Amino acid sequence: MNETREPIISLRHVDKHFGALHVLKAINLDVYKGEVVVVIGPSGSGKSTLCRTINRLETIDSGEILFEGKPLPLEGKELAALRSHIGMVFQSFNLFAHMSILDNVTLGPVDVLHTPKKEAREEARRLLDRVGVLSQESKVPAQLSGGQQQRAAIARSLAMHPKVMLFDEPTSALDPEMIGEVLDVMTTLAADGMTMVVVTHEMNFARRVASRVIFMDSGSIVEEAAPDAFFTNPRTERARSFLQSIHGH
Amino acid sequence: MSISQLLAQYGEEYLAALLTTWKLTAICFLAAFVIGILITVMRVSPIRPLRIFAELYVQIFRNIPGASLLILLVYALPYLNILLSYFICVTIAASLIPAAFCSEYLMAGINTIAPGQIEAARSLGMTFSQTIRRVVIPQALRSSVLPLTNLLTATMLTTALASQVPMNPLDLAGLVSHINTHAVGGVMAFLISAALYCATAVVIGQIGTRIDQKVRILR
Ligand SMILES: Nc1ncnc2c1ncn2[C@@H]1O[C@H](COP(=O)(O)OP(=O)(O)OP(=O)(O)O)[C@@H](O)[C@H]1O
Ligand SMILES: [Mg+2]
Repeated sequence: MNETREPIISLRHVDKHFGALHVLKAINLDVYKGEVVVVIGPSGSGKSTLCRTINRLETIDSGEILFEGKPLPLEGKELAALRSHIGMVFQSFNLFAHMSILDNVTLGPVDVLHTPKKEAREEARRLLDRVGVLSQESKVPAQLSGGQQQRAAIARSLAMHPKVMLFDEPTSALDPEMIGEVLDVMTTLAADGMTMVVVTHEMNFARRVASRVIFMDSGSIVEEAAPDAFFTNPRTERARSFLQSIHGH
Repeated sequence: MSISQLLAQYGEEYLAALLTTWKLTAICFLAAFVIGILITVMRVSPIRPLRIFAELYVQIFRNIPGASLLILLVYALPYLNILLSYFICVTIAASLIPAAFCSEYLMAGINTIAPGQIEAARSLGMTFSQTIRRVVIPQALRSSVLPLTNLLTATMLTTALASQVPMNPLDLAGLVSHINTHAVGGVMAFLISAALYCATAVVIGQIGTRIDQKVRILR
């Protein structure tokens, strides 16, 4: 981590309410190029909301979010263009149900980046191969296992050449035997230098891959630490009891 | 007159009327389909006045009787110095109403799309119109093939409104009135038209089922 460089994502004093519910409270967070920031915390603590504000799928009430030093555009074409630089992988995969896996991966490049179709297809096949689902390219999402769908969804994001990737509990909807295959792909991505923000309950993954761990509770960042320090010796009582509750399972 | 006498005397007229009904149905359905898609896009658009307009459209044309609309067009438009042929008036009435239903079916189709897919499209950097064109409408269409097939049949039946005005050329329903005013065709003249409507509807239904099986979205 090189603290002298400008962060690629910067949240400054971000607040967000859903009605009366204060879901993000004065969030400050910098993410630097090449970092893997893992966000953990109990259900309802605001992890997904935090993740979704970064590409403005959720708006914020106050504070500011900078991407490469510039505030997020409010709407319209500029916002769409910004989103194309930020990959997002969802818990529920969200592949386009009416398209083949290959078309899922080429849609963004062809429609948004105006990549020629042939080139987009070649690259899509390369990416599908990289995540291990090339043999499924002509099937539709419903014909794939959850793990295969999630890997295809990662390929779909990668096809946009994102500068950052956001993962919101990418393995939470998967059967246990498929979690590993998705985490393996993510581990490789991290090793290749992708900047990632990952919301997850996979503590082993966090320990191995994270550059930093962010612990959230009730809308606040309660603790921010290197993974080893966090897992062996959390500073706050809340983090300690959260970790205990997880290890209790 | 018996059916064979009728067919001997009016065979060509029936064929012409059948073709007129088909033509009218095709034009009206196509218009209803296009208008229905436009109205649907307005209904999901982020622009409030468009949404309100589209909702009003659907509420009005879903609930107005075809005959009333036709009478309105035929008798009211001339006061506005708009003179349209009966054929055009029938076409408009039999398009505007099915368009409202078309939009209802498409909205039902849209509601089957997981919201996450829309978010995925936006995350890729797709604009509203790209998301609509590439993700929303294709899925809405694929999941509403059967209702749209029924709508095609319903549109054909709506074109029978033509018999309420002296439209030229005659459609199947108009021909029945025509025969009954110029000769004694009675129930038989009606039965022939009815059989032709039914036969067309059956064919439409078969084609619709095939298309549905082909494009249906696996979930
Ligand atoms: N669209 C919404 N409207 C109203 N409340 C919402 C909305 N989305 C989330 N919330 C609420 O905001 C709070 C934070 O939600 P969020 O999804 O960010 O939590 P999370 O940390 O991701 O939880 P989980 O681990 O269960 O995914 C929760 O109380 C949730 O019920
Ligand atoms: Mg969540």
